[in-house]
Parts: sequence; C-alpha cells; structure tokens
Amino acid sequence: MCRFRTSSARPSPHIGARADTFRNVAQFRLQGSKVLAVDLAGDTVKARNGSMVAYTGQMGFKKLTGGGDGLRGMVTRRLTGERMEVMEVRGQGTCYFADKATEINLVRLNGETLFVESDNLLCTEATLRTGTSFTGLNGMAGGNGLFTTKVEGQGWAAVTSNGPAVILRVTQGLPLRVDPGAYIAHTGNLNRALKSGAGWTTLIGEGGGEAMQVEFTGEGLVYVQPSERLTFGGDA
Amino acid sequence: MTYPPILQTPGGEGPQIWDPHTLPVNDNVNPYCFSVNLNGAYYLQKGKMIAYYGEMRFSGIGRGVLDRVLEQNFNSPLHASDWVVAEGRGTLLLADRAYDLNSYDLEDGNLTVRSGNLLAFEPTLRLKQSIIPGFLTLIGTGKFVAASNGPVHFVEPPVRVDPQALVGWADCPAPCHHYDHSYLHGVLGGIRHLTGIGGASGEEHQFEFIGAGQVLMQSSETVLAEKSVGVVGEQSAVPHQQPTQAAPGLGNLRDLGRQFGL
Repeated sequence: MCRFRTSSARPSPHIGARADTFRNVAQFRLQGSKVLAVDLAGDTVKARNGSMVAYTGQMGFKKLTGGGDGLRGMVTRRLTGERMEVMEVRGQGTCYFADKATEINLVRLNGETLFVESDNLLCTEATLRTGTSFTGLNGMAGGNGLFTTKVEGQGWAAVTSNGPAVILRVTQGLPLRVDPGAYIAHTGNLNRALKSGAGWTTLIGEGGGEAMQVEFTGEGLVYVQPSERLTFGGDA
Repeated sequence: MTYPPILQTPGGEGPQIWDPHTLPVNDNVNPYCFSVNLNGAYYLQKGKMIAYYGEMRFSGIGRGVLDRVLEQNFNSPLHASDWVVAEGRGTLLLADRAYDLNSYDLEDGNLTVRSGNLLAFEPTLRLKQSIIPGFLTLIGTGKFVAASNGPVHFVEPPVRVDPQALVGWADCPAPCHHYDHSYLHGVLGGIRHLTGIGGASGEEHQFEFIGAGQVLMQSSETVLAEKSVGVVGEQSAVPHQQPTQAAPGLGNLRDLGRQFGL
C-alpha cells in the first residue's frame, strides 16, 4: 500500500500588506509574492535595471553607472565582477517591480548589513548604501567570484529568490553549510568559509555532486532558495 | 540597533525563521523544500542538497566501499552514478529548481516514477529500473521524495492521462497506450497529420490505467529532464528504447503508407 503526504504549508496569495505606514518616504509592499510595489512621493529608490513592470503617476528612470556606488564603486564592481545594473527611480505614484516571476523577500534594515548576491538584489531604498564586499579567499558563492554585494543603512531592501526563500538561523555551535548555488543572502555576524567535499573520487567523475559548500559560523540568518543556480561548485 | 533585522512576508507578519530544532522532521518546509532528519544514510540525486546542519558526507555511489550499497539498493550499476549517498547526522534540506516536492510513504508497496522526478529515498527502499523506459520503480517500505511541476494530484484508475503530465503510479498495473486517432485516418486525415493543416488537438495519445491503485499527475505538461536510468542490455524480448529509424528507401516518411490508410 502507498500513503501520500503533501505539504500543508501552501501559501495563499496576499495582496498589499503595507510594510511601512508611518514614514513619508518610499513605502515597500508586496503585491502577491512576486511583484514589489513601491509608493513614492517625490523620493527615489534604486532598482535593478529594467525591472519595472508598471507604474502609476509620474516616474523617471535614470540609469546609474557602476551600480550606483559612485566612481570608486564602479571601478570596484568592474574589477570584482560583482556587476550590477542599477537605475534610479524618482517620482510620484506607485512603481511596480518584478524579475522573471521570482519570489520577493523584503528586508528592513536598521543599521545592520545585508550581504546579498548581486543577481538577487531587486530594489533598495535611497537611504541604503550599497557596495561590494570582499569575502576573502575562503568565501565564494554562486560561482560569481569572491565578492558579494553589501547593503547597509536604514530602510527597505527587496531580495529575489527562485521559489520562496528559506531563512535559516545560525547560532554558536550550530554551523550551517549551504550549496553555493542556493545561497542568496545573509545578515548578522557570520563568518563564511568555503569547504570542499571533493576528494579523489570527484576527479574520476564519481564525486558526491556536492563538491563545494559554504560554511556559515557565528550568529545570523542565511537565506537560501529552493533551487540552484548553475555553479561550477556543484559538481567539479 | 536591533538584531536580527525585521523581516517581512506577503502576509504582513514576519516570515518563519528556521533552525535545526524548529525545522520539520522528514516533512516539507514549504511546498518547494523538504527537510530530512538524517541519522544514518539517505540517497539523493546529485546536486539537490541546498543546505544542512550537522555533520554529513556526500559520496558518489559506484566505487569501492559503496559497492555493497549498490548491490543492496540499486539493481543496476549503470545509473548509480547519478546518485549520492548522504551519511551522517543532522538536518538536510532538499530542493529541486523550485519545483513542488512531496514525500510518499510506501508500506510494503511499489511505486513507479519518472526518473527525473525522483529526488531522494530512504535506504530501506530498493530502486529498480522499470521495464518502461525512463521510469524507476521503488519497492519496499520507506519514504521517498519526488518533484513535480506544480502540485501533484492523485487519481484512481480507470483513467487516461496525458503522457507529459504523468509523474508515476502506485500499486496498479503498468499503463498501456491509448490512441484516439480516428479523425486522422484516411487520405485527408493523413495529410492533416503530416502537414498540420487543419491541425491536430495534440491529445491523440494517452496512457490508460486500469486496476486498483493511484496515478500521480502533475499540474503542467512540463516534463522534468530525464535522468539516465542505465542502458538495458539489448536482448530479444527485453523492451528498450529504440533510436527512431527512418525506413530505408522512403526518406523520412516512415509509416506514411499507413497514415494514408493504404
């Protein structure tokens, strides 16, 4: 006999839960789970180039050179390969953003730092600073190199994930290992180290298929997506 | 400064933050992610681990020390290279291209599943090639995890299903082909079939299930890429996938004659 179990945790779509109602600046809310709506009243947000799907009111879209981090940022991004095409959106009304029907996760920062893969950063409030972060020779995520994008300051950031992100807590004594292709972002005081699961069997094509993992130790939260980007880390 | 940052989900309330104590035990975290409480061994398709807590090791199957495992749980050595054994203790998260995942409990049963849909299974189950090319059969008692594009639906025979929507079947006999070609017969029907003029509905071919059991359907017609299930030795009376061959001398017209009702 066969018994079946399906998940009871199927999300129902919610419309327009307002994220921030008391400040007279850009207001981020989700329209469903795959569209980000930002209410603007003459202020600006930074968004991935070309991610606008609709808007009401008056909006202007200006391409920012070099990821919007200024000249130094531009050079850094060019050098590090953590490339980000960013536009500045300014206007009055509501602007809607989406990226390939991926799920959107909102993160509110109050002075903390969010580390995120540049491919997964959809939109940030103008009050947030973005930059690149060198993760050391031990850190390598997504095959995108040794760098991730750093977001810090006060405000909202929108992070995309292919499928709803699973947020995993890391505490002292409970390290987490993540497939580089599934990693999207993390916050908190976390150390990253690249662990190799590859042995001699990998070289003869009989490896475990999980040749590289990123180990997180310390205190913080790690966002993983239920899917894997193409990585060279998955199977060497 | 507050820590951790306040997180927001579509519902307005903060999203669930998981740790090894709150993660479900051998159940779905969300429709697309499955959590395995590992204590011993688990077999999974290569590259489906997204994260884990604890100590574990992933090793490819098919060499040296794992030969014994191979004999016990995989009856064909030829497809085993696509499988990995996870050994150790901890919590393991599985996901596959953001497809829907479901777990299935088999109790002294059998279930046949499309090779690309099977994600992971307990070592108490045995995996065998189905005689239907591209399908795998699990036999025994235990739990396994399979992916589907869109939620999976369970249908009881008698039923005819679209080949692309079929994920697998349990307990009932293997399906047979069913054709509904009547309007494509004759000279005009043949032209229609070959040229597409007038069109075909695309639903002329189904799999027919009879008997008692369950048929698993996915809610789309996107077939998950087939995994190699190993090549069956060519032998008379053993079905195997034949490369499509053009009939000699007729170009690529194949059974044109029959299409025209000749």
